[in-house]
This record gives sequence, structure tokens and C-alpha cells, in this order.
Amino acid sequence: MNPQPLQPTQHGPPLLELRQVSLTLAVGGAKQLEVLRDIDLEVREHEVVAVLGPSGCGKSTLLRVALGLEQPTSGQVFHRGQARRELQPATALVFQNFALFPWLTVHENVALGLAPTLVDEAERAQRIHRVIHVVGLEGFEDAYPKELSGGMKQRVGFARALAADPELLCMDEPFSALDVLTGEALRNEVVDLYTSKTSPLNSILLVTHSITEAVFMATRVVIMAAHPGSIRAVVDVPLPYPRDEHHPAFLKLSQHIHALITHAVMPEPAPAPEPGPPGPRLQSIPTVSLVATIGLLEILENEGEMGLFDLTHHVDTDFTQLLLIVKAAELLGWATTPGERVKLTEEGHRFLSADIHVRKQLLNAKLREIFVFRLVLEMLERSPEHQVEEEVVLGQLALHFPHERPQRILRTLIAWGRYAALFRYRSTSKIFWAQPPPTP
Amino acid sequence: MLALVIGFIGGVVVVAREWAGPLRPVTEIHLEPTYLPLYALFSLTRGVVAYAISFVFTLAYGYIMARVSGTEKVLLPALDILQSIPVLGFLPGFVLGLVHLFPHLNLGLELASVLMIFTGQVWNMTFSFYASLKSVPPELTAVSQLARLTWWQRFVRLDLSFAATGLVWNSMMSMAGGWFFLIVSESFVLGRQDFRLPGLGSYVSLAMERGDIRAQVLGVLAMLAMIASVDQLVWRPVVAWAQKFTDEEQPGVESAWLWSWLRRAKLWRATGQLLAVGRRRLAQTRTRAGPDSTSPSGVSGAAYGWLRHAVVFLAGLGGLVGLAIYIQLIASLHPSDWLQLGHAAAATFGRVLCAVALGSLWAIPVGVWIGRNPRWSNWVQPLIQMAASFPAPMIFPLVVGGLLHFGVGLGASAIVLLLLGTHWYLLFNVIAGTTAIPRELWEFSRLSRRSRLERWTKLILPGIFPALLTGWVTATGGAWNACIVAEYMKHAGQTLSTVGLGATINQATEQGNFALLAAAVGVMALIVVGFNRLVWRPLSHRAQTRFTLAT
Repeated sequence: MNPQPLQPTQHGPPLLELRQVSLTLAVGGAKQLEVLRDIDLEVREHEVVAVLGPSGCGKSTLLRVALGLEQPTSGQVFHRGQARRELQPATALVFQNFALFPWLTVHENVALGLAPTLVDEAERAQRIHRVIHVVGLEGFEDAYPKELSGGMKQRVGFARALAADPELLCMDEPFSALDVLTGEALRNEVVDLYTSKTSPLNSILLVTHSITEAVFMATRVVIMAAHPGSIRAVVDVPLPYPRDEHHPAFLKLSQHIHALITHAVMPEPAPAPEPGPPGPRLQSIPTVSLVATIGLLEILENEGEMGLFDLTHHVDTDFTQLLLIVKAAELLGWATTPGERVKLTEEGHRFLSADIHVRKQLLNAKLREIFVFRLVLEMLERSPEHQVEEEVVLGQLALHFPHERPQRILRTLIAWGRYAALFRYRSTSKIFWAQPPPTP
Repeated sequence: MLALVIGFIGGVVVVAREWAGPLRPVTEIHLEPTYLPLYALFSLTRGVVAYAISFVFTLAYGYIMARVSGTEKVLLPALDILQSIPVLGFLPGFVLGLVHLFPHLNLGLELASVLMIFTGQVWNMTFSFYASLKSVPPELTAVSQLARLTWWQRFVRLDLSFAATGLVWNSMMSMAGGWFFLIVSESFVLGRQDFRLPGLGSYVSLAMERGDIRAQVLGVLAMLAMIASVDQLVWRPVVAWAQKFTDEEQPGVESAWLWSWLRRAKLWRATGQLLAVGRRRLAQTRTRAGPDSTSPSGVSGAAYGWLRHAVVFLAGLGGLVGLAIYIQLIASLHPSDWLQLGHAAAATFGRVLCAVALGSLWAIPVGVWIGRNPRWSNWVQPLIQMAASFPAPMIFPLVVGGLLHFGVGLGASAIVLLLLGTHWYLLFNVIAGTTAIPRELWEFSRLSRRSRLERWTKLILPGIFPALLTGWVTATGGAWNACIVAEYMKHAGQTLSTVGLGATINQATEQGNFALLAAAVGVMALIVVGFNRLVWRPLSHRAQTRFTLAT
């Protein structure tokens, strides 16, 4: 292990560079979804860059564009200063769900990572042997992936990526499909791997949603915001390896990043809404479960007012997910967040002390004030049979929220609306019906 | 091993001599049992050659349909229509065309027979391959792009490997499907001219005509022996081998003695090594040659565009020309012919529905019972599988003979024949559907003391519905096809026939009335495709949204 921090090479063009990259996808018919907007990103040699952001912010797409698996709608991707429109040379990717070929053995899967130009049989064998040794898979060469545990499968994923001898190793949430302990072990092994002088591996581009993982591994953290995916902030991590998660400097940096993300997910109320094509920008709903939101209220009632950072440690969950839940509680008037502290409101207390029937009534009244629900209710009222087809609602959602996936909002809308008995919906006929308000 | 090799070479010589011989429309068929092994060899060869053609067709058609964008819109409906055309609809084209192509060789006639068997095998394989290609996981595609696999490597290691499991099961079904029309494929009358090729199908056909019960039974036994040995020597090892392509570990796979024996044999290993070396050489030369493996679809840009236009253009042109010829052909029909066709179609439609309903009546309770008793199902499954792969038309004359004895005419007994041909599909699917119902649901329905009726209406029927629907679709398709052999047959020196579309098609073929044949085949294809679109598709949508067991 090498206790010194990695020294990024400042001279010469960067290994990988994205300039003004935007990506717009067609989602059925004429509808379009802007996934990435104006991304500028560079990875230099001896750098570990972590891309951090809430789920659905396009960070995996960003990785695919960087690798050349997908082409940007506008902007350019450079490799060592040269613009490229196809696969990047000397890169490799580790997948979240391993992506191993079930019909190939460990040995054969790893061999897939070797460059096809490497034809010397002895050298191929030696290279495979070496990477299998590096990740500690000796003895498993003849196993099929289905015979391995998750941790071992991801080791194969790493070995396959390392076999390509990549200048830049890309990882797409490589530890999130593993259990906590296995993930912890593998994360440390990867850090050991790139800090050791003998290893060829020196530059990494990592996509993650865990702040701790980003601060633990990266020399630079890039924070993304969603709708559309864009870069919000870049933070350097000048801590020496190996890093200690309980070191004050580590904690301070983590808290700083927490604050930045909080700001990205829950911006301070804007002074004036910016005028856009469909009128003033309307608020969508956070796509989280209502029951989880009520669970947050219960915690706040027991623990009293809490800082966001402490709350993450208290509720063992993904930080960005937690932020969305807090955002939902705020939208429903149950909680406020003055200065990154979460506090239960009077309304929140009243909701918690009510029984399920009164809760439904309270929620029913509340949802009627929120734009998307008002939208559906108005449509139901206008329709002579008090029925609206799902397609129509989806169309309206796509129109009002061009940067979000209408399907996702719809699913949440249905779940919340059903909970509050606001309307009825049947998935087989895909129709909304009007429903009389609930009685206690 | 040596005996196997010598036997194989001997077989090839005999078959080659037969195929290269001068054209003999009618070969004399001998009913002596000693001829049976030879006839079995001839039939098997036709089946295997037809299977090889099916395989190549499947790979090409399925790959283009799934991977060349734009072609799907043309090729998928075309496949749907093709699979609804009964074998006799292809017969005149194949026979006249190929005999014309090889006027002096038996080869033309043999190929026509092979192609007819092919039409009974190919469609479900193509559908399966296409469906597999459409569901290749995107991460695996990304891996093969990053590994810079060549088009060929990617086809073999990703596409073909991913599709292997489905292809193997469908190949087994296809072989059975090909045998179903063996009798028709080996002996037929076209325009008052008899055609008869040596084989098990023509053997049984002759035995029927003569009313020789002993020979019929012998023919059936030979067929059974052939199917059983193909199952043991080919399919069991292939299924065991295909296990490696599945994602999850499956304990207790049926033992395949031949596979373990082959795996141990040295000869096999040597062949494997030889193949591996050749493959690697090939891969290397291709890697150096082809820099275009990075395009999104794996097919190089120019070739891709060219292929796409060519496919759409050819399919469009073929479709238009075919349609023009078809309309010209059926324009000569008299209105009374159409009236007769409508009558016949209604009769056959009724029979098909009756047969499927009757089949459901016994297959649902029995299937649920077998599915609920794992010990039984382990024991019964292989037997059913065996019975299902036996071509039912071979025992039709025995059944009809028996029913005639009791005074049941062909009009009614045709329903029994259709049932014989299709009930296995129902039984299979009901068993599969029953075992898919989670154990907890059974336990709940027992704990809550539901009545027997309620258990059926609330648990079993909705639970097996998706599988049952698959069974119904397959069974109806099979029944429509089987009406060709069920509504018309030569039995003990006389021709039995009843009112029906199958009988009309047979008569039109024998008389060489191609206008009527074309119209009848068209009507049948229209009904089958229409029924699929209007009844089965909405129902299967319902099955997937409401009755799926995945929550």
C-alpha cells in the first residue's frame, strides 16, 4: 500500500474529455426526453473521478457516452485530445449487475476482455492468469457464473475489465448489487489495487450514488443534478490513501458534499420562476413511496428535529433517495427544512396522530392543492362520463414536465391518489374514474 | 464406435443411390417387415435434411427480422401467414417446380418431400429465435461491443448462445411437427398422378389403403422406435449440453447416458480440440480483416443499409407478384365454388372448436392433477412427451376403422382425430401452469377452507390461464393443420371424405384444381390469422396484464 495521494498529471491533454455533451432521446412518437445537458468533464491520468447524483440523473448514460457506447446528440468526446465518434481505445467497464456470459466459464469470460489484436497464445494465457491472480479468483477458472456468489461474480467482472489493460477503468455502481460486507471488502481491494505501484491501473471513472464510496475512493467528485442531467459542482478530495471513514477531514468533506447535493435536489425557493414554453415552471412530485414518507415522519416524531446528515446515518438508506422523501414530506406540508435541518410541522403532527381514515381525509384535501393531482381531477370533472384514459394523463404530464419521465410520475401519482382515495384507477383498462371523497 | 461409423457410411451410400436415381414417381412399396429399417432410414434422412434447412432458414430469417430495423414490419406478418398455410398448400408449387428443375432425377421429388416436411418444422423455431434475439440483455451487448467482438464472434457467443435453450426445445417440437405430415409428404396425388417415395409414411399409407391392419401396426411400431431412438441418441444429450446456456442452476436434470459417454470418449475430445483450433484461426483472420465491428448493430453500416433495403424490396416485390398470381388464379372460380368453400370452412371451424373444447375437458383436470403431484409428474412427463411426438395421423385409420365399426361417420370421427392430434399441447401447458402456481396460494386456499368450486374459479383457472391460453393457441393451430389428414383418407380400398376445408383441399389437390386449392388454402390462412388477431391476441394481452403470476 502506498500512503501518498495520487498525483494527477497536469501536463498534456487529458485521457478523456467531454465538451458540451448533450443527449436527447426519443421516447415514443414525437416526445423527447433531454437526458444530459451541456456536460463538461475530464479525466486525467492518475485520477479517480466519481460521478455522484440522485437516481435517474443520467449518470450511467454519461458513462456510456464517455465510453462511446452511445453517441451524444451534440458536443464531443475526446481521447487524449482527439475527437472520437466510436468506442474509446484502452477503456473497460465494470457493470452493476456483472454482465457475465452465463454459458462461458470464468476463464472464458475473462478472456473476452483481452484485446482481439492480442493473438499470441502464450501471452493470452499469461495475461488471463495474471488478472485472475490479481482479483483472487484462482481455483475458480472452470466455474460457470451461476456457480458463484455475487462477490465472486463481480471479481470476474473486474478481472475481465483488467484483462483489457485499460488506461481508464470505468465502473457503473460496481458494489451496489452486493451485500454491504462484500461491497466493503471489494471496495478496499480496488483502492489497494490502484494505489499499489505495481498495478497498471491508474485512472478510474466511477459512477455511484453513495457519498461515502465517492469520498473513500475518488480524487475528484463530480456532483450531478437531474432533469435534465447536468453537472452541479466539482469537489477535489485531497486526502491521502488509505482513507479512514471516521477521520474528521473525511467527515467534513462528506458533509460538504451532502450539503451540495441537498442544494441540487432541493434548491432554495427561486426568487422568480423562469418563463418557459409551457408557462411558468410547475412543480412535479418526488417519485417516492408515501408509506416511506410516513415512516420518515414517525422517526422525526421519535427523535425530534434532525440534521439531514444525521438522518442519513439514522435511516440506513441512499442519501439521494432520502432527500426525495424529505422533499415529498415538505411538499405535503408535513415537514420543513430550515438550514438543512428537518423538522415536523404542526400539520405533520396532526397527520401522525390521526387514524387511517382521518389520514386519508387529510391527505385527500392536501393532494387537491397539488398541481398534478388538480390536473387529473379537472380532467375527470370535464369528462362527461367522469373517466380519463391513462394515455391522456401521460400526454399532459409529458407536456408540463419535459425533463422527467412521465411514466414515473404517473406511477407515483396513481399510488398517492389511491392512498388518498382521490380517484380510482384500473391497470387492465388503463382508465381513471372519479371517486366520492372518503368518509371517516 | 467403429460399427457406428460403418453403419453411417452405409446409410449415406444407400440414401445417395436412392436420391441420385432416375425419376420414379411411384416406387413400389413392400409391406414385408424386413423393409422397415430401410424405410425408416429414408424417412429419417428426409427429416434430418429438412431440419438442417429449417435451422439455416431460422437463423437467417430470425436474425434479419430482429436486427435489421424496418424489416420486422414486413417479415413478422409474412411469417404469421406462412405458418397458417397447411402443408398441401405448398405441395403443388414444390412438386411441379422441383420435378421441372430435375426432370430426370429422383432428387427433385425427394427435395419436394423434404421441403414439405420443412414446412411442418420451421415456423416455431423461427419465432423462438426471433424472440430470443429481441430479449438479449443490453449489458451483454455492451460487453461484446467493448470486447470488440467481430460480427461473427458476436453472433456465435452472444446471439446464438443466448437463443440456444429456446432453439433446442423448439427443435424437439419441430421434429415432431415434421413427422406429423410424414404420410402426406411421402405419398400424395397431384392432378390425378400418384407420387410415392419409399419411407415409413408411404408404408403406412399403403397399409391403410389395403386395409392391412398388421402392416399398419408394424409401421406405427417402426415409427415409435425411430422417434424413441432419436430422442435418446440426439435430444437427451443435446438438452444436457444446452444446460450450460441457462442462467440458473437446475438440479436433477434427466440423465443423458449418451452425453456422459460421449464426453468421456477420446475421439470426441480430439474432434472438439480440432474444432476449437479452427475456430480460433478463423476468428483471428476475421479480426484482422474487419474493423467495422463497432457499429451499433454489429453489422457494418453500408452492408446494413443495403441489406435492409434489399429485404424490404424483395419482400414487397415477392408479395405483390404472389398476390397478382393468386388473384388471377382464384378469379376463375364460380360463385357456387365460393359457397361450397364457405360451407366447408364453417364445418371445419366447428370441428376445430369442438376438438379443442373436448381436449380441454379432459386435459385440464388431468393436467392439474399431475401438476399437483410432483412424484407422478416426474414419472408421467417423459411418457407424455414421447406420446406427443408421435405423429397422430399414423393411427387415424385404426381409430376410424374402430369408429366406423360402431357406425360413427367420418364427419364426427374427424373431431376425435383432431383431438388426437392436439390434446397433448393442452395437457403440457396445463401441467406447466399448475406447477407455476406458488405453493403459498395453495396453502392459503386450504387454510381458508374454500369450497372445491371456489378453489377452481378463484385459484386454479386464473392461475393456469396464461399457460392454458398458450395451449389453446397451439392446439387450434395444430387442429386446423390436422384437418387435412382427418377429413379425407383412403381406407381399405375406399376413399372416406366429409364436408370440410381439409377435404376440399385434398380433393382439389388430387384433381389438380389449383384455383380451388388456392382459394381453400387462402380461406384457411385467413381464418387462422384472423382468429389469432381477433381472439387470441386480446386474450393473451389480458393474460399478461391480469393473470400473470409475477407481482
